[in-house]
Amino acid sequence: MVYECDAYTMEKHLPDVVALPRSTDEVVRVVKLCAEHHLPIIPRGTGTSLSGAVLAVDGGVIIGTTRLNRILNVDYRNRRALVEAGVPNLWITNAVKHRGLMFAPDPSSQPSCTIAGNIAFNAGGPHTLKHGATTSHVLGFDLVLPDGDVVWLGATADGGEDVEGCDLRGVVVGAEGMFGVITRVVVRLMKTPHAFRTMLAVFNSADDASHAVSDIIAGGIIPVAMELMDQPITRAIEDAYHFGLPTDAGAVLIIELEGHEAGLDRQVERVTELCRKNHSRDLKPARTPEERAALWKCRKSAFGAIGRISPNFVTQDGVVPRTKLPEIMQFIYDTAKKLGLGVANVAHAGDGNIHPIIFYDERIAGDVEKAYACSTAIVRRCIELGGTATGEHGIGVEKAELMSVQYSADDLDAMQRVRRAFDPEGRCNPHKMFPGGKRCLNFNPRRQVAI
Amino acid sequence: MSIVAYAPDDLTVTVTADTTLAALQQHLAPRDQWLPVDPPNPARLTIGEIVDCDLSGPRRYGYGTVREHILSLRAELADGRLIKSGADVVKNAAGYDLCRLFTGARGELATVCEVCFKVQPRPEVEHFGKVEFPTAEAACEFVEKLDTSELTPTVLDLHNANGAGPWTVVVGFAGTREEVAWQRKETERFAAMTDTNLDYEEQFWSTTAAGPARKLSVLPSKLAATIASMRGVTSLVARAGNGVIYYRGEDQGTGLAPAVKLMQRLKHEFDPDNQLQARRA
Repeated sequence: MVYECDAYTMEKHLPDVVALPRSTDEVVRVVKLCAEHHLPIIPRGTGTSLSGAVLAVDGGVIIGTTRLNRILNVDYRNRRALVEAGVPNLWITNAVKHRGLMFAPDPSSQPSCTIAGNIAFNAGGPHTLKHGATTSHVLGFDLVLPDGDVVWLGATADGGEDVEGCDLRGVVVGAEGMFGVITRVVVRLMKTPHAFRTMLAVFNSADDASHAVSDIIAGGIIPVAMELMDQPITRAIEDAYHFGLPTDAGAVLIIELEGHEAGLDRQVERVTELCRKNHSRDLKPARTPEERAALWKCRKSAFGAIGRISPNFVTQDGVVPRTKLPEIMQFIYDTAKKLGLGVANVAHAGDGNIHPIIFYDERIAGDVEKAYACSTAIVRRCIELGGTATGEHGIGVEKAELMSVQYSADDLDAMQRVRRAFDPEGRCNPHKMFPGGKRCLNFNPRRQVAI
Repeated sequence: MSIVAYAPDDLTVTVTADTTLAALQQHLAPRDQWLPVDPPNPARLTIGEIVDCDLSGPRRYGYGTVREHILSLRAELADGRLIKSGADVVKNAAGYDLCRLFTGARGELATVCEVCFKVQPRPEVEHFGKVEFPTAEAACEFVEKLDTSELTPTVLDLHNANGAGPWTVVVGFAGTREEVAWQRKETERFAAMTDTNLDYEEQFWSTTAAGPARKLSVLPSKLAATIASMRGVTSLVARAGNGVIYYRGEDQGTGLAPAVKLMQRLKHEFDPDNQLQARRA
């Protein structure tokens, strides 16, 4: 059932109603009706979230934005576009690339995930390393508050980028859809860089690869992306798609530098030197745009490839300071091994953002609990190492209990104050983010296989 | 006034709010790193003031305002409780982003005590060039050409010191020596530049005799028309690439703050008895 969960499939529950409005006005009418009857509202894009963030924990009305999918205006001169909330991320870049522009955030789900969903989780992607996450690329949007009032936050389509007063736009980005329903968004467009150097660095171990990442950042070079894939994931991708990845390597890094042609090769030399210092056994540059596209396709196909090797999986999204990357990688392998579970790793390594993919089979008694324990232990370790529980997937229902590990009661209380200002009744996307909410996790394996 | 923690290999630094910007930059310099935010008077301006007003300077076009560089902060609420928002890592999606909410809130919601920044390697080379034009219109045409070209300046400013005389466009480039040289050469195709520096910014902000500095923010494409419509302006500095104009002279009016009701509800939640203002004074 489409609306019983998102891409986090460990918990499921159906909403009472799904509304698919076609205009801001229709959204307002649905929201007002819900306000009258005190019903929960759950804004939802295409359900690609990995944290159970659009789960209708207690039923209620899902307001889907999939029919709000028009690009309303592109202002090439000022490099911005006005789009509806349900426009998929990649449509924006596709619409403007002929003029040398792009929308920078590039989550792996970008062909389907929506712009409003990107706002809800401050979505990132491999290129966040240099370009920043969604909050740096969204200038303003409207918001239908849970009482039905409509406010515009941040810059308007034809207004200046600085707006009087607090950055209310900024606090809605990453609020996991708990402050209201967005229907229209002004996004910032970036000039597409002219030159790229993309390469695949091959290492004998994930440890060597992580040390190389650490050294490159410490060496004062910020590539636009630095992605780590370990052996289990390269094997899975290779089995599924036959890209020609080295399956005997402990780990590979996709490193991309971009900018103006001048000076780029000298940076490549420096990166090469630092990879060699960390025992990289091979460094393959992408020689054509096609080869570059193929490398990125490898990375973005990672999650799709897992379906072939494990009936179920759960992925995590913790972040550690970049110098702690080797340490957390080791911890992931040790923890999974101790619990007897398989694990594969992709990571936005340059950001210190890990995505361990933990394999389990819900048909085997005890496997769901083990996967949950493994995943929780990894996130706790990230927090202990001075990091965070999530870099881009959000808290949702999945990590709500971990919020009290990462933040004090006073920190969480301050967040609740903001929530009350937007949604005094706490009706918008309830039971998310804060500890103590209702769960649907009953550890009763159902005969259902993820992805 | 202190540096609480500096992890150069992670490119992060944590400082107390009463640290001056100059002191912070000095601390980062030996490792060839910096916080690429350049509001005027760094020797006196504190991190707390910069965050309260979301300040920036000429390099805003390349690096954004200070809000783009904050990873976490500690703040004191009106009731005296200390809270932390964000995490000391470059990416964080856990919890609401109170860092963004408090940055630019002018201390109305909480008092910022400590800030963790993501810092950057200093560019190998920085270069500033200027071109003078007889009219604002001609200057804005040049700005538009650069803004819509493939070039990526870090500074794209327009200034007119005395409300008379030439309109000066300042263009800055930063990066490897090869790319800066290439970008300078490309710019010369539009107009001949002479070397310059960013002193005009300090001059604008220190000339207080002409009354308070005010601000307008417009679409970059409307910069020329906006300047043409301004009356009684004595001096002007514009972040031309961003469409942000700072000026002294007659008040040209500003936009109304949006979402006032929502802002009042936030104020009520965070500072119901209006204690923060008094504490600041």
